[in-house]
Amino acid sequence: MAELMANSGRCTYFFLYDGTKVQGEGDPTREGICYFYPEQTPVDQQELLCGQLAGVGRCVSELSSSPVRVLRLRHSKFAIKMEDDFFWALGCAMDFPTVSMCDRLDQLIKLFCFYNGPVRQSYQTNSRETLALCWSRYLFYLQAGATELHHIFSCLRTIDSTHIDPLLLLKAALILQACQRCPLVLAGCILFRGRVVSTQMPPCLTVRVMAHETQTYNKDERLNGMSSSFPLSSAVTSTTVHLTLSELQDLRSTTVDRESRPHSTPSQGSRPRRTRLSRTLSDTPSTESTPDLEPEPPGRPMRLDAPLSPGLSRGAEQRDATPTNDPLLSPASPRFPEISPLTNQKGPRRGGQEEEDEEDGPLEKSRYYSFHSPDGNTSQTEFQGEAPPPTDASPLGNPPPAGRRAPEREGYPEGRAASGGSGGDILPGAGVKDRTVVPMTLYQHRVKGLLLALLVEPHLQRDTEAMEEVYHSSLASLNGLEAHLRTVAPGAPGLQGPYTFAHYDCVQNTLTTNVSGRAGGDQDHSFVRATSLLHTHFCNSDALQEAIIRSARTAVYATRSVAQETYFLQHGGALRNSGVPNHQDTAFTLPSKARHRLLKHGVSLL
Amino acid sequence: MKCLLIASESAEVLFYWTDPEFRQNVQDQYGASQEEGQRPPAFEDSLNTLFAPIIISCSTMVDRLGDSYACFTTENQHNYVLHQFDECLYIAVNGDGQECEDDLRRKIYVMKKMIEVLFGMVNLSSNLLRKELRPQDTEQRTGLWKHLQGLLETYSRLRENDQSFLVEAVERLIHPTLCEQCIEFLERRLLPALNSSSERNGEEVLHSFILVHTKLLAFYSSRNTSTLSPSDLLALIVMTQSMYPSNTDQEDPGPEDVESVSVSGLEMFYTPQPSPTNRSSSGSERTAREDTPMFEFVDPDIQIAEDSLITLEVSPPDPLAPTRVFLEVSLKDGLYPMMPHSMYCRPLWPGITLVLLTKIPNSSVAMSVYSYLEAFAKLEKRLSEGQEGPAAARGQPTVHDLRSKLDKFIKALGPCDIQVPYSDIQVPYSDIQVPYSDIQTSQLQNVWSEFKKRAFTRGGPGFTRELIPWCKSMKTQLCGVYKQCFLNGTTRGADAPQRLSPALQELAQAMVQEKLMDWKDFLLVKSKRNITMVSYLEDFPGLVHFICVDRSSGQMIAPSLNITERSTSELGGGPLAQFIRGKVWGLVRTARQYLQKGYSTVTLRDGDFYFCYFLWFENETGYKLDEVDLPVLPDDSPPIGVLARDYYRKLLRYYSKTHAGEVVKCYELLTVHLGVIPTEYILQHCRQLASKLWEPSRNPLL
Repeated sequence: MAELMANSGRCTYFFLYDGTKVQGEGDPTREGICYFYPEQTPVDQQELLCGQLAGVGRCVSELSSSPVRVLRLRHSKFAIKMEDDFFWALGCAMDFPTVSMCDRLDQLIKLFCFYNGPVRQSYQTNSRETLALCWSRYLFYLQAGATELHHIFSCLRTIDSTHIDPLLLLKAALILQACQRCPLVLAGCILFRGRVVSTQMPPCLTVRVMAHETQTYNKDERLNGMSSSFPLSSAVTSTTVHLTLSELQDLRSTTVDRESRPHSTPSQGSRPRRTRLSRTLSDTPSTESTPDLEPEPPGRPMRLDAPLSPGLSRGAEQRDATPTNDPLLSPASPRFPEISPLTNQKGPRRGGQEEEDEEDGPLEKSRYYSFHSPDGNTSQTEFQGEAPPPTDASPLGNPPPAGRRAPEREGYPEGRAASGGSGGDILPGAGVKDRTVVPMTLYQHRVKGLLLALLVEPHLQRDTEAMEEVYHSSLASLNGLEAHLRTVAPGAPGLQGPYTFAHYDCVQNTLTTNVSGRAGGDQDHSFVRATSLLHTHFCNSDALQEAIIRSARTAVYATRSVAQETYFLQHGGALRNSGVPNHQDTAFTLPSKARHRLLKHGVSLL
Repeated sequence: MKCLLIASESAEVLFYWTDPEFRQNVQDQYGASQEEGQRPPAFEDSLNTLFAPIIISCSTMVDRLGDSYACFTTENQHNYVLHQFDECLYIAVNGDGQECEDDLRRKIYVMKKMIEVLFGMVNLSSNLLRKELRPQDTEQRTGLWKHLQGLLETYSRLRENDQSFLVEAVERLIHPTLCEQCIEFLERRLLPALNSSSERNGEEVLHSFILVHTKLLAFYSSRNTSTLSPSDLLALIVMTQSMYPSNTDQEDPGPEDVESVSVSGLEMFYTPQPSPTNRSSSGSERTAREDTPMFEFVDPDIQIAEDSLITLEVSPPDPLAPTRVFLEVSLKDGLYPMMPHSMYCRPLWPGITLVLLTKIPNSSVAMSVYSYLEAFAKLEKRLSEGQEGPAAARGQPTVHDLRSKLDKFIKALGPCDIQVPYSDIQVPYSDIQVPYSDIQTSQLQNVWSEFKKRAFTRGGPGFTRELIPWCKSMKTQLCGVYKQCFLNGTTRGADAPQRLSPALQELAQAMVQEKLMDWKDFLLVKSKRNITMVSYLEDFPGLVHFICVDRSSGQMIAPSLNITERSTSELGGGPLAQFIRGKVWGLVRTARQYLQKGYSTVTLRDGDFYFCYFLWFENETGYKLDEVDLPVLPDDSPPIGVLARDYYRKLLRYYSKTHAGEVVKCYELLTVHLGVIPTEYILQHCRQLASKLWEPSRNPLL
């Protein structure tokens, strides 16, 4: 049973087929196969699948004048992407939710483009073998390790905050803020052994950055030959990555906000935080609780996603304090709908800005200006140089800016496409922005298991002064953080109880659950099955808020809001029932039980 | 943008139906590629060209991968569902968002069901079925396809608008006294009158029922007759509706309408028997029928000649000619699918129809054919599983048993009434009909003696794999016999077509008309407002709608949900009712999705509403039985429902395994409440509804 759980999220086939290579009657299909997984598949089988699926895909898309998205056979199913004569197909087991399967394919393609640039172009400049290695690595990365629940929600893996002193998380956030004092740094994240400790980036970018971390952590640091050592230390590397214009704009717009913000704004709030900051950075974190450090609203205990949340909650506090200045609420930034996770970034960043205002404001600003105009030029020229872009990962007309529900969900299913398109609709030319990629640099500073990854403007490498500043400002704190994280016992299973639950944060794209990946019992299996059904249902129905489904053995309760989805199953007590409507049926007590039980996991369903 | 296509493995179009948008779309695609001045290709050809790559790829996948396409979805939410029945590939397309994957799959299965009802066991031979679905003669083909298109459109309309076709259960008119009277009338007066008449030509009326629109007023089956399965009954209602569509958009008829209605009814009553040779296509036949002069007496010779030309026409142009339908019969010794019956539909008044189902004289042949087909199929299976020699010859019945029986059967069949040459695999099919009398049986005899030579001769190959093609061949031959006996059965020899005599049919019609004369206006109104929510509002505050289904009997109860422009229910007309309708339809769809995965209870808070779905089992005394794990079905399993495949019958059988010796009943309840009602009240309501609805005394309107 456990095996089944682990495997059903695994992809069965993945291939990329280039239609331009097979146009004449005599062209063998194999010419068009750029990559095929599993690689040991016999070539004629590869040809059969590629040829038939691509052919049928083309036929259907001509009939409907729209690319095929999902192709299902009796015993397997495929997420399809058709773009610029390329044909991608990702096959999964039948019981894996179709929504998640499509998400994963999009993720995979975007991941490829993030590190290699547009697909057509990278196939022109690199050999198939090199790129095949990339595909297999990304594929492995996307399905490695995590439980099936993680696959269903395509979520980020975070460190288990229940075993970690909250101060460490705060410390990590502060390191990132400190780095952002350098205006060439757009956003960053801190990862520890393949899990997120703290991030300032939208989840879809964090996932991609993590891919590289996993590689370098697992293997040689210079695997794909794209890294180049910084003069500072061998621990620091950098890689060229490619962001779409809209993704870049999202990251940069926060920089602009920082600049345009009135300097005096949060002054009264900054004082206590400053003391907290110094204490955090210098004191040895102790396990004793620090009541004055309660960053979360009262009654809301620390959550598993806490590494990501201090910013969020602080952002919320500040929003309360200075509502008119918050870019979320001001009409100046209409691009970000409801619950933009920019709060997520803005909080820390604002903190950083306070820092800089008080400590080295003038210096900061002058540097900012000095860099700002060249930056504009650079991106301009790059834009022109790359147009018309041969390909990019997101043709659906919309960037996943910060905080789409799941990183790459647009376009599926119906309702979602419409809502997902809003960002693009508002900004004219968003389609072009999506298809145009801009090279940026991923700066990585590794301290054993810990990695600081920053998305920086490419010319940071030439700016030795700025480089040193970033390096030295974070070095000591990183060492300290690493030392502390290392001592934390690695992931003991979450708090167990007579129930199973999963709580998915759509904004931060994180999952809190007490289902452990390996020891999947019968109960866990039926929970996962119900969850995947309900998740699909939530994705397909906008109005659905709450559901209870019950079979003879299990009853699962699910509820969702704009920001979260929660699933709950109560163990024990055989559900002796006839199935006839009965208000004493235990299934209908699930909502109150869930509300009650999940409080101690930091999940509030009120 | 909708389309349904049936294609053979060689990508030949066996049937298609499209809506105007799809047609336009196809023509646009082809119009663009056409040269100036050239005529655009025939629509069927364009369709063929467009779908051919998919069809061919489908068979390639089956051959080489053992897997075939089930469904495509495009980014603009067009859905394609594919399903292969034997060698026929069904493709259903929707591009306007009105039908989801499940709806399309259901449509495919319903189409298949209709073809089974119309062609019976010919379905078991792909080769024969292909020829039936695509007659060589263009006119015949057009006629047949029009008929099938009409059925499909009728079904789609009913599924969209009629709650009983939404949940696929029959809705009865709730008026106990009248229903009882009518049943008694059918039992005591109508059926005896018909079955004792000498004009019935050997047919025996087994089932009779009266429909008011799609709702059942009375149903009576004569004693010792197998029950009519809910699936077949629903299919027959679709056929009746297709023949005599009830204008659902019409407001309840006012007095003046009634006047004109009764006049037309009388006209119909006095209409003389039209010529059986009227071969106009079904679309225009009704008008043609009224205009053309009728001949009571036709020169027998002319009739033979003409009859032989229309042997393949399944949809009789003659309103008094029966429709051949193939229905399931369950007897003591087993279940016989696709047994031939004749169906007589007599419109009493617009919207009210009398339907008679008769057993035809030689229907026992069908039973024999079926048992032989089954025997050969079993033998083939054993052989292909690798059993050889005596092991394969065993089984029930034994092959030797089969041999003697089949010998007798063929002898009895003799040169009797089979006149059309059927060409087997070796001889190319020919449409020309030569009036030899025994070619058909001789083909069967040839194959059978060849089979015997191989199987039974000492020193012959015996029961080995080599016999498999001969098993197949025997099956084809048997299907051919069946086809000759029952599909062309209405035009045998020089006799008048096999049917109840026109006078007898008219007598039946007149009897029922007389019986219901005073009730007809009431019935037409009642069918629109069978039960109304008003009667439940006091007891169940906050309840918006409910549907309760008894799956054991295949019947449902639901307040009427009138959604047409002019009629209003207490929900009001227009958008609000339409909105509720959308919610109810969506809920049924959702409930089925979960049921398919084994969940029998579903509650949903959706917008301002709270939905509940329950499925449970009871024994005969109403004692609620424990739940068992329901089967978890794969995504492309037949749709959950009754009409196409009776899921609930399987479910009941599955459940009965653990409750041997007990009569198990299965019920479903769906409710829609306002979301502001506290959950415990909602559940109480559901409970009360569940216990009350099937107790006539306590239901306010039952």
